[in-house]
Amino acid sequence: MSNQQQPDLARREFIGRGTALAATGVVLAPGVVLYGVAQAKPADEAVSSKNRWGMLVDTSKCSSDCNDCVTACNKEQGLGNETHSREGQRTQYIRKVELHHKATEVTHSLPVMCQHCWSPPCVDVCPTGASFKRADGIVLVDRHICIGCRFCMMACPYKARSFVHETLTDQKPHNPRGKGCVEACNLCVHRVDEGREPACVEACAANGSNAIIFGDLNDPNSDIAQRVKKYASSEIRADLGLNTGVRYQGI
Amino acid sequence: MKHLQQLLAMVVLVLTLSAPTLAGQGGRTPQPSIPVAKGEQCVEDKSDMRRNHMDYLKHHRDETMHRGIRTEKYSLKACLECHVPVEDSMATSAGNDEGHFCINCHVYAGVTLDCFECHATKPESTAQFHPLVTPGSGIMQDVGRANTAELLNNLVKNSEDNAGVAHE
Amino acid sequence: MKTTKFLEIGSGKGYYGLLIMLGVFILAGLSSFFFMEHNGHWVTGMDNQIVWGAPHVFAIFLIVAASGALNVASIGTVFNKQIYQPLGRLSALLAVALLIGGLTVLVLDLGRPDRLIIAMTHYNFKSIFAWNIILYNGFIALVGVYIWTMLDPNPAVKRFYKVAGFTAFVWRLILTTGTGSIFGWLLARQAYDAAILAPMFIVMSFSFGLAVFMLVMMATYNLTDRPLGDAVVRRLKNLLGVFIAGVLYFVMVYHLTNLYATKLHGVEAFILRDGGIFTQVFWIGQIIIGSLLPLGLLFCRLTRHSRFWIAVASALVIFGGFAQLYVLLIGGQAYPLVLFPGYEVSSGFADGVINSYSPSLPELVLGFSGIAVAIAMTVVGMRVLRFTPVSLADEVVDPHHSK
Repeated sequence: MSNQQQPDLARREFIGRGTALAATGVVLAPGVVLYGVAQAKPADEAVSSKNRWGMLVDTSKCSSDCNDCVTACNKEQGLGNETHSREGQRTQYIRKVELHHKATEVTHSLPVMCQHCWSPPCVDVCPTGASFKRADGIVLVDRHICIGCRFCMMACPYKARSFVHETLTDQKPHNPRGKGCVEACNLCVHRVDEGREPACVEACAANGSNAIIFGDLNDPNSDIAQRVKKYASSEIRADLGLNTGVRYQGI
Repeated sequence: MKHLQQLLAMVVLVLTLSAPTLAGQGGRTPQPSIPVAKGEQCVEDKSDMRRNHMDYLKHHRDETMHRGIRTEKYSLKACLECHVPVEDSMATSAGNDEGHFCINCHVYAGVTLDCFECHATKPESTAQFHPLVTPGSGIMQDVGRANTAELLNNLVKNSEDNAGVAHE
Repeated sequence: MKTTKFLEIGSGKGYYGLLIMLGVFILAGLSSFFFMEHNGHWVTGMDNQIVWGAPHVFAIFLIVAASGALNVASIGTVFNKQIYQPLGRLSALLAVALLIGGLTVLVLDLGRPDRLIIAMTHYNFKSIFAWNIILYNGFIALVGVYIWTMLDPNPAVKRFYKVAGFTAFVWRLILTTGTGSIFGWLLARQAYDAAILAPMFIVMSFSFGLAVFMLVMMATYNLTDRPLGDAVVRRLKNLLGVFIAGVLYFVMVYHLTNLYATKLHGVEAFILRDGGIFTQVFWIGQIIIGSLLPLGLLFCRLTRHSRFWIAVASALVIFGGFAQLYVLLIGGQAYPLVLFPGYEVSSGFADGVINSYSPSLPELVLGFSGIAVAIAMTVVGMRVLRFTPVSLADEVVDPHHSK
């Protein structure tokens, strides 16, 4: 016979694990632990499929008048330096999309970028193999062998890819981009390889929305893996069966 | 007469062939102007680099692109750190420069340089800010992210504590 | 079996005049290529929404017509129809010329045409595009061998005539299936993603290729004052009529099937009713001018015996072919990708809006230069080697001609 309340197991686990973690990291604030660059993959180690990088977007936290992810991405990747291209010819890695359901009238706002599919159609159709999926799931364009045929742009269900329509200068050293090649969101691979987060995720966290989180879907202890296991999430164009790395909640 | 003609032809030939040597350093043969690089020496021997830098770069680019290996030796980005010091402000890329290490020599040798169609010609001057929370950290259950400035201050305080250094 | 006598076409003012005119087109095409490649594609009408434009319409037409142009030779070699056999050499030459013209346009429109060597040495074998590169090169090689077996009187070479013809025939069927599958295997887009596109492209190749062949043949024999009998013309025009009807059939099946799928109602309404320019080009350009009118001209009692009207019908088929590819290529891209079925979408990157496209001058000039390359190759080929029979009069070629 017990009229005691069930102990809050979640909190207990949290504190227990938090203490264990604090031993390896530095506790900066309650529940916030800094791991530092010790967690980043060493520079001479190849990426492997033991990681699978992904993002989770909670559309309920995403507001229509916020474009911070887009602004941060453009700044981080050095986009927007086209001088001759028309609006429709400029590169966009990430964009905000406003939805309005025709039957139920519900509205959503969410960011759409390359979904980093596990079975990417862009990789299937690239004639030279320039569009490829890295072992850790990040889909990239090897612009050394891209011939600019734009077939991947035809194949992408998410319109994630852009073509560079003019000569570019002042590129960011970590994001080489040039005329005649195709490009897309690369999940800020230069940051990920250093153990950091993509710029859009960082910006979304900085303004308090926390609508996008980033993490290793293969790591059962990661925030993102636990959330996608616990709460329903979906892929855009789930009917295509591409197993995207970017998942959405609330649509 | 025939001997004289042969002698004359020989003299003309020898003079033509030795013209570069006769012209000398400040003569009519143009020399490339190679900007001096930072640092003591390159990652490899000068003669080795002259012959093989393209192979090193090509192999390393595939390693970085496809396998995520980002070691600094043979990385184009790292090369530019020494060879194109940021103090020279050059805004353009793709072959329009007068004072760029790679472009100067390639223009002189007449070898097409494809790299700078896409790659920045100079290293980035600003240091990169590292955010404080790494991805994949396990137990972030519904914990809001604290103010980053506050976190940064905490980090500095903590590391100064650990190092036994006085707080400013 | 009759032995056909072949002779090179003569040169003269007409020949050089034609070559000079074609040369002007080719030079214009080259300069527009330099212009586009140097500045980047911002000078074209293509953007991130309409990624393939006018150059691709021209290129795909030429490539599809190329494999169809070989049909005449194949009917003669593989199916043993005697009346087609004298036409085989010209048919094969035209096939190669059209393909090279189409590939020229395609390659010169690439974002990085300087990397063609990379395209020919790095292959992703899951990509239908990569297979197409292999198929196109193989086609040129195989048809080259086929032409050799036709031209070389050496019996050791002639022995391979049938094998070469059969191989080329099978190869071009695979090639056109591949070309149709470029679109058919694009699962993301509503207007593509259909297995029927591959056989539809095959029948389209029959129709366009034969129309081009007929025009070239009639023009050649007219301009060189060589006799062209009615038997050949009648046979070919009947065949063309069958092929036009075949294309109409496939188009009808494609649209009827799409109309049955509720999820495709959007794109079908766009093409068939609401698409503005695309709807007009479909109904008026592709169906009426490109299919129904030529059918009428080819079989109506008043016009079916007239060389003039048969030539007009062939030209209309070609026009209809361009219209069909315009609707398929551009229309298929103009209709927005549907990421969120059931939702109205808007964004800063042209989501949920019909994309518009107007071809720029450099693109059109490049496209026409591809046609010029094809015609120039054919004309020079006929001048230099024996591709054209001296006479295609009924007495000479028709096996059923009564003396």
